[in-house]
Amino acid sequence: MKRIFEHPSEPLTGRKYWRSVGQLADTPEFRGWLEREFPQGASEIQGGEVSRRNFLKLMGASTALAGLGLAACRRPVMHLVPFTRGVEWSIPGKPLFFTTARPTRRGYAPLVATTHDGRPTKIEGNPLHPVAKGTTDLFAQSSILDLYDPDRATKITNAGAVTDEAAFEKALDGILKDAGDGSGLGFLLEEDNSPTRQRLLGLIEKKYPKATWAVYEPLGPVPAETAFGEGVEAIPQFEKADVILSLDCDFLGAEAELGTTRAFSARRKVTSPDSKMNRLYVVENRFTITGGVSDHRLRLPASQVGAFALALAAQIADATKNTALADVVKAINSPAIKFDADWIKYCAEDLVAAKGNCLVLAGSRQPAAVQTLVAAMNASLGGIGKTLVGRKMTDKSMSTLAELARVITDKKIKTLFIVGGNPVYNAPADIPWATLQKSVPTVVRLGYSQDETSPLATWNVPLAHYLEFWGDGRASDGSYVSVQPMILPLFGAWSELDLLAKVAGLPKPQGPELVQDTFKEIARPADFVTAWAKFLHDGFLENSAVKPVPLTFNGSAAMELIKERFSTPATGEDAYEVVFTQCPKLDDGRYNNNGWLQEIPDPITKLTWDNAAQISPATARKLLVPTLVGSRAAQDGDMVEIQLEKRSLTIPVIIAPGHAEGSVTIPLGYGRSVVGRVGVGTGFNAYPLRTSSEPYFAVGARLRATGQHFELALTQEHHALESRGGDLTREGTVSEYKAKPDFAKTMGMDAHIPPNGSLYSHPPLDKPNDPNAPHHGWNPHGWGMVVDLNSCTGCSACMVACQAENNIPIVGKHQVMNGREMHWIRTDRYFASVDENDPDPEMVSQPLMCQHCENAPCETVCPVNATVHSEEGLNVMVYNRCIGTRYCANNCPFKVRRFNFFDYNERDVMGGKDFGVFTGLYKWNLITPKGAEDTVKMQKNPNVTVRMRGVMEKCTFCVQRIQEAKIAAKVAARDSAEYRIPADSFTSACAQVCPADAITFGDINNPESRVAKLKTNERGYRLLEYLNVSTRVSYLARIRNPNPRMPGAEKIGAAMKSHHGGEKPEAAESKKTPA
Amino acid sequence: MANIFPRGSNILPIKIVIILVVLGNAVSAGMWYYFTPKYTRVGYQPAQPVPFPHDVHVGQLGMDCRYCHSFVEVAAHSNIPTTQVCMNCHSQIQRDNPKLAPVRDSWATGQPVEWVQIHKTSDFVFFNHSAHVNRGVSCVSCHGKVNEMAVVYHDKPHSMDWCLDCHRAPEGALRPLKEITNLNWQPEQEDPQAFIAAYGKPVGSEGRDFSKPKERLTQEEIGSTLRDKWHINPPDKNCAGCHR
Repeated sequence: MKRIFEHPSEPLTGRKYWRSVGQLADTPEFRGWLEREFPQGASEIQGGEVSRRNFLKLMGASTALAGLGLAACRRPVMHLVPFTRGVEWSIPGKPLFFTTARPTRRGYAPLVATTHDGRPTKIEGNPLHPVAKGTTDLFAQSSILDLYDPDRATKITNAGAVTDEAAFEKALDGILKDAGDGSGLGFLLEEDNSPTRQRLLGLIEKKYPKATWAVYEPLGPVPAETAFGEGVEAIPQFEKADVILSLDCDFLGAEAELGTTRAFSARRKVTSPDSKMNRLYVVENRFTITGGVSDHRLRLPASQVGAFALALAAQIADATKNTALADVVKAINSPAIKFDADWIKYCAEDLVAAKGNCLVLAGSRQPAAVQTLVAAMNASLGGIGKTLVGRKMTDKSMSTLAELARVITDKKIKTLFIVGGNPVYNAPADIPWATLQKSVPTVVRLGYSQDETSPLATWNVPLAHYLEFWGDGRASDGSYVSVQPMILPLFGAWSELDLLAKVAGLPKPQGPELVQDTFKEIARPADFVTAWAKFLHDGFLENSAVKPVPLTFNGSAAMELIKERFSTPATGEDAYEVVFTQCPKLDDGRYNNNGWLQEIPDPITKLTWDNAAQISPATARKLLVPTLVGSRAAQDGDMVEIQLEKRSLTIPVIIAPGHAEGSVTIPLGYGRSVVGRVGVGTGFNAYPLRTSSEPYFAVGARLRATGQHFELALTQEHHALESRGGDLTREGTVSEYKAKPDFAKTMGMDAHIPPNGSLYSHPPLDKPNDPNAPHHGWNPHGWGMVVDLNSCTGCSACMVACQAENNIPIVGKHQVMNGREMHWIRTDRYFASVDENDPDPEMVSQPLMCQHCENAPCETVCPVNATVHSEEGLNVMVYNRCIGTRYCANNCPFKVRRFNFFDYNERDVMGGKDFGVFTGLYKWNLITPKGAEDTVKMQKNPNVTVRMRGVMEKCTFCVQRIQEAKIAAKVAARDSAEYRIPADSFTSACAQVCPADAITFGDINNPESRVAKLKTNERGYRLLEYLNVSTRVSYLARIRNPNPRMPGAEKIGAAMKSHHGGEKPEAAESKKTPA
Repeated sequence: MANIFPRGSNILPIKIVIILVVLGNAVSAGMWYYFTPKYTRVGYQPAQPVPFPHDVHVGQLGMDCRYCHSFVEVAAHSNIPTTQVCMNCHSQIQRDNPKLAPVRDSWATGQPVEWVQIHKTSDFVFFNHSAHVNRGVSCVSCHGKVNEMAVVYHDKPHSMDWCLDCHRAPEGALRPLKEITNLNWQPEQEDPQAFIAAYGKPVGSEGRDFSKPKERLTQEEIGSTLRDKWHINPPDKNCAGCHR
């Protein structure tokens, strides 16, 4: 008999937590996601696939045929192939760890690469580095897949014909011999601060003084003549700031530097009600990761942020009696835009009250005048030298793409070297780069893969991955880091340094000699061999971080600049603002062919495999509904045409709660025309809308709904949990927390749980073993996890880290639409609001993985004991026993189990893009050959089984790491009984990567461990406690720190104290305070 | 109406049932016997590119297992020696032996010798040598008396059932760590006095007087003592011990 469990219903009044508009409307589609293990039809063969009946016919025939071939059922002969000569350090089957660093446009990120028998398989942060502290991000984690991308450029080509390295070197020598003073040479590079590169550029400049040097970064910051002097940057010190106001600055997301998230979240680590939290105000046009963790958020079109800053500056100038700032405010005609006066007033008051400990941040996307105005505000708020410190990097100054384009137009460039980048795809619309590039007689391109730029180049040379060459660089704190190769270039690729060395007239480096020369210059070691070895071992040179320079605010120059440049674009009734953003997954499009990144849901919109224009629900109603046939509501995926001057783009929309009205946000990096198998056909290219004068937002766009619809693979409703959102993700405010520190434990249904009347009581988690049992204490461990929702930003780095560690396949867009994505850990994103039509919901992210229930519902229903409990508390999944009934997934209240509907590891997932019967996953499995690309196999973690079709899988708490640690402890114990793993000596992949340190994993039986201590935190709660599943993962409730006087403060962090309602302390307090 | 079927056909259904039962049992028994590693794997003795005689190297010359399988104590894999290890001696001894031609070729060309794999676990099984040899399990327990094999063969079934026999009762395989690579070790050879001095009174030896010269230790006693002393708790119910 099927028993339908009565989960508590959503409260009729009070705050609701919801994942999508569909959930609020309780659409049948959403009910399908919620109530079924998979949505209707997802577990059936469908679409372009063969019907079940035909499938059975085929199967029967194939089985009969297979019977004829039974003679070959002997195990094949396999060989063991040892090295001929022993390799230093190498122990077959044991991983080796090397430090290295990854180039990013904000400096090098120090890393540790894991190599198995010479193959790099996993990237971690460098724990020795003082700023990185072992954390990494989404891009570092997924960069390992780029190394093994089967669509990488593999051959040197000349005018499209494959040739070899010797021919290229000969041609290069010819070019350089005729170069003279270099006036015909042009170089287009990417932002990079490698000192060896700087040194080589110096050498080349001496040889060819007239050469043109240019750098192009499509998503670089808006150039702002700084108010702090030439080349000096003001670096925010988040650990010192009590009140932070971000004006369109996504400092936890797209604009995060190494260690930013760690520094910010350190001030949100609440250990007791007395802990002092920072307060974050965010003004932005769309939800970002930063906006999601904010305490107060104001929706504003990005083009009006400047006007907002001006209004705020007026208040600050008033309060701080800063006449200079007041003069500027007066000098500028304040635009006729009405802002929430209370918001500005109380925000300014809060900032002034925290004078010296506050921080105002302007997004690097905002115009120079706004950035300078914000610097002036910081100066009058006393932040200079305290919450902002100066840093000066000395890099060669380069021309911009526009300047290079002018030189090319003048026909001065005979040979153009393009290293990396992809200007044909991402150059601004006002620079006809493709035509310009074609007009250059010889173009030498170092490119990572076949892209839009390579067909227009004469010579194409494969560019090396950062794990393939010797290099160096500077981290964002300026420390000198080493880039070590983990593997020889897979396809004879050249690094940038190789090419520059050749141009400089040096031989192509065969080893680290070039970097060693730079190292000698920088470190000046007394004993080179030891110093070099230490440099490589640590991954960075000790004490090499750039010393902070004194920060002096040049007030008068700044004021001049603001007065001269400040402008607020006017917006019309029907004119929209278009905002171009860095895609949180694909950056500027360079990771378009990375399947892991394509399939990670966007942290905010939960969109995979495509981009879409985000618009607010009200805009969607206004814009779309009149064009829709019948009574259909506006949906995600409805197409609009965006007309910006003469340029236009047709793109699907996503209805994004919390988005500003009159504004459209489009992530860049999609719609590539020349790209590998993964990226082809994904998304829409917004670069043609973008000009160099308005790189991040443009005003005056016209939008028109086309009436068409595009299918988007959105995961926001997937794996929806029964129970109330507010029970799953719990939050409160500082005052609530102070009033009742353990408020999270009695929220919602948890207040109503009757005492457990079971005849069989489970031993408590922290004392699992009966001390009188035989062999008590022989198995001292018990694993558990704590996730601090107050630190989690929802960045989804844990998802990719898990994918890399646990050999999780990608499944492709069509499969994601069917709800078959395989991520073991997912990031659930909820919006919260009291009124469902409230345009200002809050956002909460919650990572969810297998909860490792002590009374696991999945275990009792497995007919073959394929999922069982271990004595250490793990809910163990035994792949070789699994027969694929999927009962366990059906019975899992957390929906964390994933089923291999296809042989994702052996079949071409990307082949199914046309959804045909004979392609990709839908090939007739028994009659077509299987197999994965060799390079893709090289990435796999050899300590984790690669699962096959028909097998269930889920989070294992990284059991391979647990076993490794246990075996290491036992090997060390030898003939003693001392094999307890030291506390916190290893952790799971998700906990290791977390930039905010939100996930803690460890041995809860060991009172010394961090996780055991966190388990006693009063904010802790467990999910679905009323089901008595007794989970091993627990969460710490999110605490918001609203300013009680701000408008709307009573809505913020409005934890349902209970579903009986009740007045919130803030509401009461704000009534008392005279406004 | 006359009977269509003869009288004898009444017993036919019973006969069919009996035949089916007998046949079914025979098939089950046959599969039980012929389709399990005890039959399919034990005795597997492929020809190797070099007929390396373990009996000569270990049995006669007395080389230790770990001279060639050098990482067995630190890694999951017990490595096959590199050509370099062979050449340590064979650059001077038996330099012209034609059987060693593949080794010399390998050394000259850098191409490895391709040994035929005999012992193999499935892809979903993660066996770790170091966890066994450091905790009292000898090579001989799983590989047999390799020191007496002229050509190595598969001696034990290596089926999951066989693994679990030992994981459930490890005392049957434990021995003092110094005897791990001594494949000829027998429990009777252990000096009871020295053993008692090192590990205390053997478990389960109540009523026995080891001061008598004839009184020898049994495997059961040695194993149980070491298990309790070292807290040997191999994963017997925790599937994740071997399947990850």
